[in-house]
Amino acid sequence: MRHRVLAFAVMMLLVILSVGTTARGAMGPVTNPDTLVILTYGDPESLDPAYAYDTASDGILWPNVYETLITYDGSVLSRYVPRLAATVPTLANGLISADGLTYTFPIRKDVHFHDGSLMTPADVRYSMQRFMLQDRADGPSWLLLTPLLGTDSTRGSDGKYQVTYGQAARAITVNGDNVVFHLAHPYAAFMSILAAWSFVMPQKWAAANGDWDGGSTTWQTYNNPKVQDRYEFDHANGTGPFKLQQWDRQGKVVILTRNDQYWRTPARLARVEVRTVDEFATRRLSLQRGDADFISVDRPNQSQVTGMDGVTVLDGFPSLLIQVLHFNYKIDSEANPDLGSGKLDGNGIPPDFFSDVHVRRGFAYAFDYATFIRDAYRGKALQPNGPIIQGLLGYDPTLPKYTFDREKAVAEFKEAWGGKLWDTGFKFTETYNTGNKVRQVAAQIVKDVVESLNPKFKVDIRNVQWSTFLGATAAHKGTLYALGWLADYPDPDDFAQPFLASNGNYPARNSFSDPRADQLVKDGATTTDPVKRAGIYKQLTKLAYEDVPGIYEAQPTLFVAMRSWVHGWYYNAIIPSIVDVGIDWYPIYKQ
Amino acid sequence: MTAFIARRLLLLPFVALGVSVLVFSLLQFLSPAMRASLYVHDIKQLNALPDIIRKYHLDQPVYVQYWDWLQQIAHGNLGWSETAREPVADAIRGYFPASFELGVFSFGFILGIGIWLGTASAVHKDQILDHLSRFTSISGASLPTFVWGLLLLMVFYGHFGWFPPGRLSLAADLFVRSAQFHPYTGLITIDALLNGQPWIFWDALRHLVLPVATLTYYLTAVLVRITRSSMLETLRTDYVRTAQAKGLSQRVVVDKHARRNALIPVVTLSSYLLFVNLLAGVVITETVFNWPGIGRWGVGASQQLDIGAVTGFALLLAALVVVGNLLSDILYAFVDPRIRLQ
Repeated sequence: MRHRVLAFAVMMLLVILSVGTTARGAMGPVTNPDTLVILTYGDPESLDPAYAYDTASDGILWPNVYETLITYDGSVLSRYVPRLAATVPTLANGLISADGLTYTFPIRKDVHFHDGSLMTPADVRYSMQRFMLQDRADGPSWLLLTPLLGTDSTRGSDGKYQVTYGQAARAITVNGDNVVFHLAHPYAAFMSILAAWSFVMPQKWAAANGDWDGGSTTWQTYNNPKVQDRYEFDHANGTGPFKLQQWDRQGKVVILTRNDQYWRTPARLARVEVRTVDEFATRRLSLQRGDADFISVDRPNQSQVTGMDGVTVLDGFPSLLIQVLHFNYKIDSEANPDLGSGKLDGNGIPPDFFSDVHVRRGFAYAFDYATFIRDAYRGKALQPNGPIIQGLLGYDPTLPKYTFDREKAVAEFKEAWGGKLWDTGFKFTETYNTGNKVRQVAAQIVKDVVESLNPKFKVDIRNVQWSTFLGATAAHKGTLYALGWLADYPDPDDFAQPFLASNGNYPARNSFSDPRADQLVKDGATTTDPVKRAGIYKQLTKLAYEDVPGIYEAQPTLFVAMRSWVHGWYYNAIIPSIVDVGIDWYPIYKQ
Repeated sequence: MTAFIARRLLLLPFVALGVSVLVFSLLQFLSPAMRASLYVHDIKQLNALPDIIRKYHLDQPVYVQYWDWLQQIAHGNLGWSETAREPVADAIRGYFPASFELGVFSFGFILGIGIWLGTASAVHKDQILDHLSRFTSISGASLPTFVWGLLLLMVFYGHFGWFPPGRLSLAADLFVRSAQFHPYTGLITIDALLNGQPWIFWDALRHLVLPVATLTYYLTAVLVRITRSSMLETLRTDYVRTAQAKGLSQRVVVDKHARRNALIPVVTLSSYLLFVNLLAGVVITETVFNWPGIGRWGVGASQQLDIGAVTGFALLLAALVVVGNLLSDILYAFVDPRIRLQ
């Protein structure tokens, strides 16, 4: 018996070793030389370019699957190169009218979509209109709606439509081989919006798959969809160098293959895999072994990849990104456990808990900004004084900002809710997305400091899967929650509108509304004089300080960790960060 | 024996019904709007929430709702999962095979090593083997799964590069996703053989090593302790002493007389181990090794208050427990004739 057991054990050991040692050696040649493997902790919400408005989704789509009419020239945000347009419009070549209201884009010929169909100017027009008119709640449609139709939503605050198809039709026209944009007002940032958001898909393909057919009378049926309402949710048909092969939501992987019919020289990579791996240790080991080429690494974990054999870490990239803790002024209490009892009784909070400015100021003073920047970013960030961050027109470091001050926090909490809050206490749960170490640090700081001020103050923490987290906060379920903002385009309007305009992304989530802010945002967008614009954005910063709709925690510098055999990557502050920075897959190769 | 099994099988539906009543009762604490996801199989249906509430009588008395819900279950509709973005039944079908594969492989080792080591430890009580076995079982029970798993990953993957996380390597994964590969069972090891692709079989096996080792260490520790205790008790009984007094060898006494009786409590524990611990998913192991199993999905769903998924997961767990208990009873009767004669 003993011999049999021993023999079995030896046999199993041999089997295991033989199975194991078929693996590659430690530091051999390039692993999977024609495949780029990216490991991240955020899963895409949608692959529909008119719906997606998060980095995990857009980081896949642009500029890899869908292309834009023009795009940035590598890292340089002030210079454009043509993509689906044959020429970049300028005042000099006459393709931008002198009054700044008309932009003409000659459309490139002989460009095919992934399904083989030929791209036409009509497809461009359709795609732009679809982008505007689909207008899902808290989505990206405002980026084109604002300059073209002069409004940031197709629906008013009462839910009624406030635009017509006629307006969209007149705003974007086809003239021979050209697509012409007719702006509602001069808009200095229009070209930079198109550089990142003018995705093109085939009209016939969309219509054949149940989407809007471009008709004048049917667009409302397709307005404000839910996340999976459209075929494009998990199907893609762009012109980009990569096409979608599969989105395996159970396996949490998106697989893309090279578009061999690409209108430029096909990419060198044959395949890209984007996998969601929540556990950092697993991501790190995969990078170390060469089974991953890029991984998401939060600042607190940076030391674990620095100095790793075969890994390059590049640091110090200036970002147009801000981390914010948001106050939800009107929390949806329907089946929402994050409010506790739902009343101001020490065991919960009422749905309008954060509508009291003293509560918000209390939290703003109670946030330890320096510790957060030290622990979450290893000191490599600065504290903003509002949503207009460094690098944007109108940024002014001399304007006031909240500082960590326990006494002031206590004073504010003592005034909150007519003086009741300090005696009754409160309890709620704050949320952040799973795997995000930075936001976890912020949540913990809030909990630790606030609870130390008063034993009746209780703050719990919960992490939520990214795609579900976005949906929950959009459904007004968030209480105090962490979400950041990466620039859609390098202009202060892209921060002012989403943070301070009533129809902006965050005010809509959080029921924040200030008519003064609405007017200032509108003025800032329509004014072309940069000096006046700067003054407007400074006023907005002061308003954000008074209203404190959010805690503006940090504007970080960024870094990236990748295998040293990866070449061709470049930093662009606007490409959505699929890891901690964005990746344009087209020029990348492994060698 | 047949009558015994038949009696147990006849009881099965009633047990399952009882469990469903319990689960459904707990759901009544939620609002109709939250429970609506249990009745739809397409997220678009939730756009018309009032219609759903009306159609499935979600604002009606509990017994009316329960009947509607049971009908849905009977038709295989477990509702919609927000986290999986698909019907709950499809999600379970997708996630379960991965957990099943991991569970079955682990179970074999746990059972084999646990019984052998527990028996040997009892037979060689207070000798070196016994001390080593007890040290192993105590450390296995004390060391958190994620620590052990990460340690294994760091050594055998990070350092040696032998056993990667995930279910397959890149090349094997691409082949399995292609039209050339047919997923007969969802168990990649079996499907690889059925597709005549032994290299995928070996690749899948390589990826199973570490998660199986992680689970085996912890659960074997539990089984060793139970087996040892039971065997020690059995070895002290009169009939075993009689057998020894008759001059039978230690091997015959243990293998032929003592072990079978000592396995009675082990049978009960084994069915629990397999059907609850292993098949229901082991979220920590799945997270560490990036294994797309049902445990990770279930925990994620509960964190995100995905009612459809949580309910479906609870029903699956209940079904596994019911089947596990049934198998346990049958095995119990097989091992101990006194049971089936009662």
